[in-house]
Amino acid sequence: MFEASLQGLAQVFVWPNAGFMLLGATIGMVVGFIPGLGGNFMLAMMIPFVFGMDPYAAFALLLGGHAVVHTGGAISALLFNTPGTGPNAATCFDGYPLVKQGQTGRAMGIAMAASAFGGVFGALLMVFIIPIVRPIIMAFGPPEFFMMVMVGVAALAFLGGNSVAKGLAVGALGLLMSMVGQDPSTGVVRYGFGSLYLWDGINQVLVVIGIFAVSEMLELSQQGGSIADTHGAAKVSGGVLTGIKDVFRHWWLNLRCSAIGGIIGVVPGLGGEAASFLAYGHAVQTSKTPEKFGSGMIEGLIAPESAHNSKEGGALIPTVVFGVPGSSGMAILLGAFLILGLAPGPKLLSEHLPLVFNMAWTVAIANVFGAALGLVLANQMARLTYLRSSIIVPLILMFAVLGAYGTHNSMGDILVVFVFGIVGYYLKKYRYPKAPLIMGLVLGRMAEVNLNMAWDLYGISFMTRPITLVLFVILITTIVYPIIKRMRASRKGGNVHADAV
Amino acid sequence: MRHIHWKLPKVSVFILVGLMAMVLILGGCGSNGQVSKPAAGVAASAADELAFYNGKTVTFVVATKAGGGYDSYGRLIAPFLQKYLPGSTVIVKNVPGAGHIIGANEIYNAKPDGLTLGTFNKGLIMSQIAGMEGIKFDLNKFNWLGDASTESRVLIVGTKSPYHSIDDLKKASEEIKMATAGVGSASHNDALMLSNIFGFKVKLISGYAGQEADLAMMRGEVVGQVGAFDSMRNMIENKEARALVIIGKEKIPELPDVPLLSDIGPADKKALTELMNSQAWLARPLATTPGIPEGRLKVLREAMKKALTDPELLQKAKQANLPVTYVTPEEVTQTVSTALNQPPEIVKIVTEAVKNAKD
Repeated sequence: MFEASLQGLAQVFVWPNAGFMLLGATIGMVVGFIPGLGGNFMLAMMIPFVFGMDPYAAFALLLGGHAVVHTGGAISALLFNTPGTGPNAATCFDGYPLVKQGQTGRAMGIAMAASAFGGVFGALLMVFIIPIVRPIIMAFGPPEFFMMVMVGVAALAFLGGNSVAKGLAVGALGLLMSMVGQDPSTGVVRYGFGSLYLWDGINQVLVVIGIFAVSEMLELSQQGGSIADTHGAAKVSGGVLTGIKDVFRHWWLNLRCSAIGGIIGVVPGLGGEAASFLAYGHAVQTSKTPEKFGSGMIEGLIAPESAHNSKEGGALIPTVVFGVPGSSGMAILLGAFLILGLAPGPKLLSEHLPLVFNMAWTVAIANVFGAALGLVLANQMARLTYLRSSIIVPLILMFAVLGAYGTHNSMGDILVVFVFGIVGYYLKKYRYPKAPLIMGLVLGRMAEVNLNMAWDLYGISFMTRPITLVLFVILITTIVYPIIKRMRASRKGGNVHADAV
Repeated sequence: MRHIHWKLPKVSVFILVGLMAMVLILGGCGSNGQVSKPAAGVAASAADELAFYNGKTVTFVVATKAGGGYDSYGRLIAPFLQKYLPGSTVIVKNVPGAGHIIGANEIYNAKPDGLTLGTFNKGLIMSQIAGMEGIKFDLNKFNWLGDASTESRVLIVGTKSPYHSIDDLKKASEEIKMATAGVGSASHNDALMLSNIFGFKVKLISGYAGQEADLAMMRGEVVGQVGAFDSMRNMIENKEARALVIIGKEKIPELPDVPLLSDIGPADKKALTELMNSQAWLARPLATTPGIPEGRLKVLREAMKKALTDPELLQKAKQANLPVTYVTPEEVTQTVSTALNQPPEIVKIVTEAVKNAKD
């Protein structure tokens, strides 16, 4: 086992494997950075090139790229408030406020370091979990997914700053929006208004681009100035180090969020966005100052970044161990195995163990490399945030519109973005939080699908499954505990938040 | 108050920028479809029709997002189509949404000039039979250009389940839980129709995206599912699943003991089994707009045939693990029209399968 691990590691550094990994990771960063392109697109483009390649070199290219797509996506989320990939949507919540405060370097440091941390965690998870993966996969089904999502939904109440009601109101709007489109379990189209475009529902990336990128630009074009508060201008490079230190200062949160991401990767069933959003919810719920999320909380940036990079390592496990891909990206990767003449499954583990270790090492090292690449470019890119509004506003709007159009190649995409641009503008004007809208939209859909499935499978008895029950207790605790805390505080004569409605 | 005075023009600048971006993109799309050649009244010769494509842009519509199977085939075929339409530029355009209906609508309703063609899910046969809303096409009137790949579908059950044959399913006292992607998806339609053909009781659990259903089988929360053999191959080889019946025209060499649906289906269900077989068979149908000039259609069909039989394409397809089998336009047209021509009782079954709200 140990020997195989070393053999796998050695193969990472052998030429040309190392070159392919660096090439893959560089492509992955670029593809992630450009909104509208994603990891699946990249893998599909790469597949024809790996034919006839040595498996080690082929996976260096494919996994090197796949591992860092979300790292690249974080950069566009931070600088332009436009998530490069779907899971990066949660990066905008607290990342952009940090950038606005002139802490671009720090935000980049946090995002890159947390991504690398999560990525390495996911790779380690892949190695250590293989012997016990079957019982873990067996333990999570739709009932458990439903409860996990509900724990995330409970976080909506904390996202309203000092006002629980505002957080819940916007969250409810998000949940309502998640109902738009064709319900997979009944086939009924809801709120379709005769438009085929709405069959697929409202895409959350478009909503993020609208309420974050477009509305911020609307505001900026009115106020003038630049994205970042110019007072911090001198500290861009120093900030990167501060950001990296922040990540290690919050190592425990980092570890927990990486674990959340890893588990969601291992047991597919919640989709790509779940990891970062549930991790964000977890960070909010376990924070001493949940009301500050959305205003540039370090924890709010660490959580999604570590979770979605960790998820990718976890997602490799069912593909490699059972030959069962858990996501569309992994299905494409499975195609690569077949092209290379390898059959994923138990046989791969017994006959090609060094290769499996090599895959984990590749993911880990590519993650570190991708983050380093992001950091090298951080200073240059951070300067964009000091451009004056008349230059940066059209640039970002163009970026946002192109990113939006890439979602369905439909004019409807652009309409959605501008409608939510206006929604976002007024949300901010009347001091409503924005993040719960996205959280509600993403989690609502997952909750509904999994509740339907859980009910069809087990009826009401789905509630009595052990893990579901444990999650249910956690859910109740997260709702009740703050209320008790508040009651105690008021009994002591302390002031309840004045504007808590 | 001076501030308010200044705010208004800036808001309008913002709107202007937005509008300009939209115009840019609209302009970009429009130029793809532009036709400068005036419609000639007389039928053009084959050479003229081939020359028509010189300098033109052909749009290859893929009815899914970039990165999926349909997209991979589109991007595989496009450069070779370009090769056999000299002087043309073939671009791939992803038009996803509404389960391929938006993409198929776009091809059907394009200008009938032979510059728009594409690929979409054959499952639309079922949607059309059921008369689903949103459909603005008639599959019988599409000009088919052929089919790039054929496939067989299989019903599989988990190896830990007590079922070893379709007969076992029929004898089961419980409802057989089958995983599906959602109402209207192929996995959903096929499972419902198989239960109708063989008379076993089925309970569909909808909402498994992609291959999440495979893990659901391993967990034992569902008994099985119906899907393309290529996607199920791994599970069968790894002994996580066994196949009970093959939907398609040919036996699968890797599964010598698994019967064909047409061999074991009851005689009185023949129309339904044939519908299932034929629509499983066409994996990547290729179509263009109805009403394009006869000669041009011939040129397109010829170019598609050359593209799909080009040794270089076949080599590339092999490298990308995309099996290619050329099916002639005549066979596709025949298969589609047979499949669409169903007696009312089958229409009823299909409609229930595609549209059925939960019991």
